[in-house]
Amino acid sequence: MTRLKFSLLSSLTGLLLLTLAQSSTLLVTNAAPTPQPIAMDPATLHALQARYKSLTKQLIQLMPGQPYIVVDTARNHLYIKRRDQVMLDALASTGSGTILDKPGETKGQWVFDTPRGEFTVQSKLINPVWVKPDWAFIEEGLAIPKSQADRIEPGVLGEYALGFGKGYFIHGTLYTRLLGKNVTHGCIRLNDEDLKSVYQLAKVGTPIMIF
Amino acid sequence: MYLLLAVPIFLSFIVAGWAAEPDVVPRVEPKDAPALQEAVRLLEEEVKLAARPQTYIVIDLVDRAVLIKGRGAELHRFPIEQWSAVQLAEAHATFRLQKRPVTRRKVEPAAGAEQLPISLDDMPTEFTLRFSPSLTVDVHPSASDNFWHWLKFKWREWWAWLKGWSLILTTGHAPPSQPSIDLTVTSHHAQSLAWTVTEGMPFLLRRTSSHPF
Repeated sequence: MTRLKFSLLSSLTGLLLLTLAQSSTLLVTNAAPTPQPIAMDPATLHALQARYKSLTKQLIQLMPGQPYIVVDTARNHLYIKRRDQVMLDALASTGSGTILDKPGETKGQWVFDTPRGEFTVQSKLINPVWVKPDWAFIEEGLAIPKSQADRIEPGVLGEYALGFGKGYFIHGTLYTRLLGKNVTHGCIRLNDEDLKSVYQLAKVGTPIMIF
Repeated sequence: MYLLLAVPIFLSFIVAGWAAEPDVVPRVEPKDAPALQEAVRLLEEEVKLAARPQTYIVIDLVDRAVLIKGRGAELHRFPIEQWSAVQLAEAHATFRLQKRPVTRRKVEPAAGAEQLPISLDDMPTEFTLRFSPSLTVDVHPSASDNFWHWLKFKWREWWAWLKGWSLILTTGHAPPSQPSIDLTVTSHHAQSLAWTVTEGMPFLLRRTSSHPF
């Protein structure tokens, strides 16, 4: 009991000391910024202002001029934007983030993440068929087929698919009740109506930014 | 006469064009030299990042927000409730994240739909991001949002502080210090950040002009 009291007392003292330390000059906090006047001659200030304007212009020029796709994998939404304007806000399903061990390999794994970063639409397909990869069979506890024909499964990807590299697609789904959840193997699923809009608005080369 | 009418119309188009420009850059008072210097430094780094196909994060300590960006466009933002920092003057590079603080779950073959996927709720609410060059960002929820996690964080902070002082008292030398930032955000935003970040992801830091760099 005495030890407990002592540790509680020492914790409180510690927190008090830490609070005091936080007011020291070492630690900067989010107090309202109070700009300190620094000596800068007008010519230097003018050059700095010009540089700021020039860099602002450069950054704006780097922004996508055409509509671009944004995918929020945390909240499972796909947006089509033009500058800051949202042209489409669609509920999606993205990668589950789970791992599946590759059979017969000690270190090999499949990671079912939707890749993050910037990509572009590389292909646009109508009535795509799913060529089931190895993991789809392993996940279902089935043997991997020898024949390519046994891997083909039509009608599960919806009417359209937009490929963005390394086998990842934006496509439709039969499981619309799972939209809004992280359930896929990395692809981005949409309902039929939103998929059609994305297919119509996006071109080959349209940027896809995924975070 | 027509010329007199055309000039204001032309000018109004120019003004409208300026106003329509997206708010992608840090707004600064043009005569606030330290803030302007910092904004220019940040923009120089950001222009380099935005020129490549990637997403990056800006921790804006001035506007108290975390911004996820790509090609200069703001993809998402969430507020910082509170922050504090040590050695902020040295934190002026593009920092690359070393390790992602994610939770993973293995799926068993043939288990089918029984297996739960990972969601945002599985992500940690309290974690440390380590960067190269040296920078650590401690993310945790506020006391009102998640008291126990906050207390745990404060306890760890206090312990590190106590160890530092013990070293000073016993050896007479201060422990080597490196830039570090402590961010208080909501639990949801902490989880969102943990979900979003990837290994090697670039981070930029906009520092306050109240502190001499």
